[in-house]
Amino acid sequence: MTILVTGGSKSGKSSFAESLLDGFSGEKIYIATMKPYGEEAFSAIERHRKMRKDKNFRTAEKYTDIGEVKIPLGSAVILECLGNLLANEMFKDGGEVRECADMVEKIVGDIEKLSTKCSKLVIVSPCVFSDFRKYTVDTAVYVKNLAEINRRIAEISGCVYECVYGIPVFIGGKNENNF
Amino acid sequence: MKMITGGAFQGKSEFAVKNMSVSESEILDGGTCVPEEVFSAVCVKNFHKLVGRVAEKGGDVIDFTKKLCRENKDIIIIIDEIGCGVVPVLKSDREYRENVGRAGCIIAENSSEVYRVFSGIAVRIK
Repeated sequence: MTILVTGGSKSGKSSFAESLLDGFSGEKIYIATMKPYGEEAFSAIERHRKMRKDKNFRTAEKYTDIGEVKIPLGSAVILECLGNLLANEMFKDGGEVRECADMVEKIVGDIEKLSTKCSKLVIVSPCVFSDFRKYTVDTAVYVKNLAEINRRIAEISGCVYECVYGIPVFIGGKNENNF
Repeated sequence: MKMITGGAFQGKSEFAVKNMSVSESEILDGGTCVPEEVFSAVCVKNFHKLVGRVAEKGGDVIDFTKKLCRENKDIIIIIDEIGCGVVPVLKSDREYRENVGRAGCIIAENSSEVYRVFSGIAVRIK
């Protein structure tokens, strides 16, 4: 079963995503997609590490091609987060756009691969769709791709939540009691 | 404590006036008020702007928000949802967004009721 947790920045997505696996007794794997470059990324990674320190997660750092992560059968997985994953897949380290015929299909395919290996999959994805700013062409494509991936995951997932200032709002699908 | 959030210009203050027996003149504006006034206010709007102003003056936003939750338990806090765009280019914008997010989470946690207003329609989310 797959569940999508979205929301704005600092809306409590990760903490809620982790709590969804609180009662899970099997192996819990945390796929971290953020590259540890720069002071801000480093402090964000540290903050998240502290947050899940006592929650028995094994961290697997994987910045692209998440379908390749080795997952013991029956594990629960948190993918954190789709925003970084898409940026890593779309842009090279210098910011140059990587060639890919269909980025949405590539990432949805990787997620499907991942979901067949684990019993529970929680995907954290940022909500970046309500901004007044005009983005550059590349960033606009990024936003559109992310929205499409979110929608595709929502189709295959059991349920979607949006976090608002720490409050998980149930958007649709089956609720977490069935998760 | 009650919290009203949602995007800009969605009818958050109107909702407070209509449904929470607050008069317009009682609503403090976080964009212009003396920050400390909030500790005794009935209602404050633009709390996100107040967060930015406190941080600009070198204040600790988390301490400020926690103090507010302790000292003014009956306040109604109106705060925009601002974190739903791509990560801003400017570091100061990124910090502002983080500060507002953290402060908002503290307020939501301490509120008995939280509403989200969209196109004038309020949905109770807590």
